[in-house]
Amino acid sequence: MNPRALAVWSLSGVTIALSTGSPVYRTLVLLCALNVLIAFRRPGVSVRGLLIALVAAAAIALATTTLASHTGDHAFLVLPAGIPVIGGPLTLEASLFGLSTGVGIAAAVLAAAPLSLVLQPHALVDALPGALARTGAAIGTALNLIPGIARSATEIRDAQRMRGWRSRRVREWPDLAVPVVLTALEGSITLAEAMEARGYGSGVRTHYSEQVWRRQDVLVALVSAAAACAFIGLRVTGAITDWYPFPELMWPGVSVAGVLCCCALATPLLVWRR
Amino acid sequence: MIGTGVATLAGFRYWYPGAGDPSIDGVDLDVASGITLVAGASGSGKSSLLRVFNGLVPHFHGGTVTGAATVCGHDVIATPTRLLATKVGFVFQDPELQSVYPSVERDVAFGLENIGTPAAVMRRRVSEALERTGITHLSGRAVSTLSGGERQRLALAGVLAMRPRLLVLDEPLSQLDDAGARALTATLIDLADEGIAMVVAEHRFEHLGALPGRSLAVDHGRVVDAPASKPSHATSFLGVRAAGGLASAPVAWSLDRVAAGPAREAVLESVSVDGRLGEVVALVGPNGGGKTTLLRTIAGLLTPISGTVHRAPGRVAYLPQNPMALLHRPTVGAEVAWTVRGETQSANAAALIAELGLTHLADRDPRDLSTGERQRAAIAAVMAGAPHIALLDEPTRGMDEAARDALCSVIVRMRNAGCSIVLATHDRNLAAAVADRTIAVGSGSARELSPVAVA
Repeated sequence: MNPRALAVWSLSGVTIALSTGSPVYRTLVLLCALNVLIAFRRPGVSVRGLLIALVAAAAIALATTTLASHTGDHAFLVLPAGIPVIGGPLTLEASLFGLSTGVGIAAAVLAAAPLSLVLQPHALVDALPGALARTGAAIGTALNLIPGIARSATEIRDAQRMRGWRSRRVREWPDLAVPVVLTALEGSITLAEAMEARGYGSGVRTHYSEQVWRRQDVLVALVSAAAACAFIGLRVTGAITDWYPFPELMWPGVSVAGVLCCCALATPLLVWRR
Repeated sequence: MIGTGVATLAGFRYWYPGAGDPSIDGVDLDVASGITLVAGASGSGKSSLLRVFNGLVPHFHGGTVTGAATVCGHDVIATPTRLLATKVGFVFQDPELQSVYPSVERDVAFGLENIGTPAAVMRRRVSEALERTGITHLSGRAVSTLSGGERQRLALAGVLAMRPRLLVLDEPLSQLDDAGARALTATLIDLADEGIAMVVAEHRFEHLGALPGRSLAVDHGRVVDAPASKPSHATSFLGVRAAGGLASAPVAWSLDRVAAGPAREAVLESVSVDGRLGEVVALVGPNGGGKTTLLRTIAGLLTPISGTVHRAPGRVAYLPQNPMALLHRPTVGAEVAWTVRGETQSANAAALIAELGLTHLADRDPRDLSTGERQRAAIAAVMAGAPHIALLDEPTRGMDEAARDALCSVIVRMRNAGCSIVLATHDRNLAAAVADRTIAVGSGSARELSPVAVA
């Protein structure tokens, strides 16, 4: 897949997820994004941690809204009014609003996630416009340092443990943190030296892997961008209505055009080879 | 006077920022085509001198310069390193810290990308460089999965792809096993035959002794012509061993049918070996063969997948491959003192520092030292006090011959005091000098190469 096409798809997904309050459209974006992520993630990349974090974020949104907003006619529990902030009726409206917010957050994050979990970091960096090529190479190199820092942290921890260092004592944590930071800095300087020695910054950069636009890539980019534009247009013209459970709880409105715009985000699943 | 060689230095002096003494002190040098071998003790200024050839000194490191330096017709002082990169290829000491991209081809192509090489030309040059360095089979591999030797050749491929006129290599053999060192040496000879000028700094003359060309020595920043490099000696230090046999010595550590490896993937399979108190065991074998895994398993840093590990009670000293993993105190002296905090033998720390030739560096920050000096400081830091077991991973990395001899003396003294020492090393001279037993580690197994030597 072309990284720029995937970037267009991600941007479109995030745009739709953030431009609507309707849990229906948000859920559709979430499902499309989750499927794309699982289908195209890099080999060996786990999405479990991300999903746990998103469930936690959605749960926090649900709990916060439920406990702090006491608006709505459908109370399912009343906490004593004397309890600061959360005291008062807990309403179904507030819970549904919190849940919808959580789904929106998850949908937006999942739409952006393929940029880091599907693409190699350098592929995304290479996709930057020519004017940002040097900055991009620097970012890519910095990203490449991260696994090395993790390895060095393990190595340092082991070496210090063998000299009697114990992680239980907070005052001894600097014995681990200081060498990790210094080693990372030193590694960065050595890498910068190596980059300079290989001509980094000497002029206009070219790319080893040319980013070829295949028909499938063009299709994904065009359909995704068109879907996002159409969705925004429908929102502006009022053809797609927003959903707000206050003051009266009602079912969210569903527009066929809006559903089609969201489902268009599934295009990668249909045209890109897994 | 400016000479006519590929690189010329005339009255060149260089001070690092804030330094009182010059690191390069009045060097007059003419580098012609062919191979120029640079020898010198750790901290003598070899690495600084090499960095002049591509302008990292002074452009990257700052500091003060007097004199003149010309490389491939360019005035080094007036030409930034990035512009000299098309003329001078530089391979650094540590191959792990010079990979820029995560995949092999992309990493080789990095320099070509920087100088704006068209993609089609780039692909051809990358392919040629991989072939020339004998690593075509690594195409498509992730850099993180390569061994030290493979990474060293990858770094060489990266600079060869740029077709330099002068190739500078800073201790290119320091992490290579014998096979890797032989292969790299053969590659260097081929490159010299093709007309590429080369400057090579190295301590491991057992391989480079075969290289044709000129030899120089660097001493306190000054350069002198040196006699043709001689292979390092393998003097045995075992003669100073205390009387007494090993057979009756208690077992210090043992592995019984152990399978072990990082991330629970077995690098060692059903390995059964042991070591006794007052014995030196050398682990030898190819890069990536499992020597470090075996050391870490003995140390208790790696839980075996199966089998049992036994260690006699007492402190285990462990020297990792990267000495900077344990150097974090403000001075070398403080580093050693930290290890022996609370131990009754702390008075031995000063003696150990002296024994390893570090007395004059005791008040220096370990991070300001050369690679070889850091290695000695790290050895002092782990060996101080009275460890029962000492596990040393590539202890002679970056060390000159004098430092290696000092290390041999320390190892033998500690062995005679009853310490069980295990060395993982590519340095066959070290193994020959101090090891009672040699164990070959590779392909998942550990095999004894010689019977227990009983004094």
